[in-house]
Amino acid sequence: MSPPWHRANPALFDKERTEVETAYLNLHFHVVSEVVWVRGTFPIVFNGEELDRYVIEVELARDHPTGIPVVRETGGRIPRTADRHMNPADGTACVLLPDERWRVWSHGSKLLQFLDGPVRNFFLGQSLVDLGDPWPFGQWGHGAEGIREYYAELLGTDDTGVITGYLDCLSKKKIKGHWPCPCRSGKRLRDCHSGLVQDLATKIPRRIAAQSFEKFRDKFRH
Amino acid sequence: MTTNDYLAKILASQTLDEGGEELETLRERRAAVENVLRDHFEDCSPTIRYGGSKAKGTMIREDYDLDIICYFPHDDTAAGETLEAIYDKTRKALETRYLIVPKASALRLKDPNPSAGAADFHIDVVPGRFTDDSKSDVFLYQSSAEKKRLKTNLDTHIKHVKESGVTDAIRLLKLWKVRNGLSIRVFVLELLAVKLLKGRSGAGLVTQLGHVWKEFRDNIAAVSVEDPANPTGNDLSVLLNATARSELSAVADRTLKLIEDSGWEAVFGSIEEKGDREKRESLRRATAAVVTPTRPWSREG
Repeated sequence: MSPPWHRANPALFDKERTEVETAYLNLHFHVVSEVVWVRGTFPIVFNGEELDRYVIEVELARDHPTGIPVVRETGGRIPRTADRHMNPADGTACVLLPDERWRVWSHGSKLLQFLDGPVRNFFLGQSLVDLGDPWPFGQWGHGAEGIREYYAELLGTDDTGVITGYLDCLSKKKIKGHWPCPCRSGKRLRDCHSGLVQDLATKIPRRIAAQSFEKFRDKFRH
Repeated sequence: MTTNDYLAKILASQTLDEGGEELETLRERRAAVENVLRDHFEDCSPTIRYGGSKAKGTMIREDYDLDIICYFPHDDTAAGETLEAIYDKTRKALETRYLIVPKASALRLKDPNPSAGAADFHIDVVPGRFTDDSKSDVFLYQSSAEKKRLKTNLDTHIKHVKESGVTDAIRLLKLWKVRNGLSIRVFVLELLAVKLLKGRSGAGLVTQLGHVWKEFRDNIAAVSVEDPANPTGNDLSVLLNATARSELSAVADRTLKLIEDSGWEAVFGSIEEKGDREKRESLRRATAAVVTPTRPWSREG
């Protein structure tokens, strides 16, 4: 097994730590049993004013920054319910849909961008929901429904059969031009949506597409 | 406003009002817990009362857990022959009404209603058995430790902290622990504060906190902690292990630098609190300024 990211790339670890600890004065890096944790207070600041704060912990993936960090709210403010986008089983926060990562926290981005972007948006939303407002940027449906909504917007179709076809393609090791196009035109992929599929394959990692494919197929039975 | 005045205001903002909603809710929950236990252990007459920060006077709004002790007479075996049996029977009794998360010696109570998302009631019930008729020393069960029986004394603990003369500093250190996500157990931090501030109860809060953090930063390896109720028999060193020490030292170092560079507000925040309406407006303005909006998802379908 390859060493965890912080030992494989100590320079990256130092850089991530310095950036985050400079921007977030009460967040601290700790390495415990080969796992990097970031713990402390996450403030929601706007125009230099702290509007709210949450006590959080962020568990960085062993292959950080490839893997998506796991975020938990540890102060006990947010109910652990799917409606609040907190996984009831383990208290993890679903700050983003993994398939959408390329748009909101692209590969190669730094941890600071993750905190400033999806994490801040998530807690900003929680504060507003606490005060009776709706989710400020909307929300994805739970589980496979959220995946359906996302790909429906991305592909411009509500047809779950078509979405299943694209997810199936994206979850394969190699994408071959002679396959039937997932748009169900009856044409071969190379003569139809090959460009779109190749583009999506650069954005959505195969592992993520495969997970979504499995969830999606279980729910929509194609 | 002096820094000590600022810290006094922070402490005031962390004080739960006697007639306030939070304490009233806790009192109601305590009464409900006591009813469950008394109904279940009708023949045993357990001693049920407050322990923890409520009894010690070190409660803070951001971490207001309530400890309720449930100690059985030393010669009564109806609640269980062994400490483990007492712990299990207490858990089963509470499970009739609550979702229980077992801890080392305590039982954490949560809302059993799934729609509440296992909302935390902020209550720990600590079962135990008095060692003799004096109802002073007590044996607790330790589910995760090698040594399953722990002898301690609640009144000694309460007195040790309450009469230390440094409860304000302890409350601020608890706030510091919470805000910085430190894993050290609260009662260990309390014992450390009492020890490090011995003979300094007359000093101001700035001096007291500065001293504790400097000790954490510079002498963490030499810092030790003992159970005042059982200094030789109850080894707390496992609770102050290398990880806990390293966290304390690193965060204390950053805290001292923060104060030097940016002042105390960088540590404990502003004392101004916005009303809901003003807060909502500010949050909405912050939302409107977001460049890359994201929507939350949920893995659970």
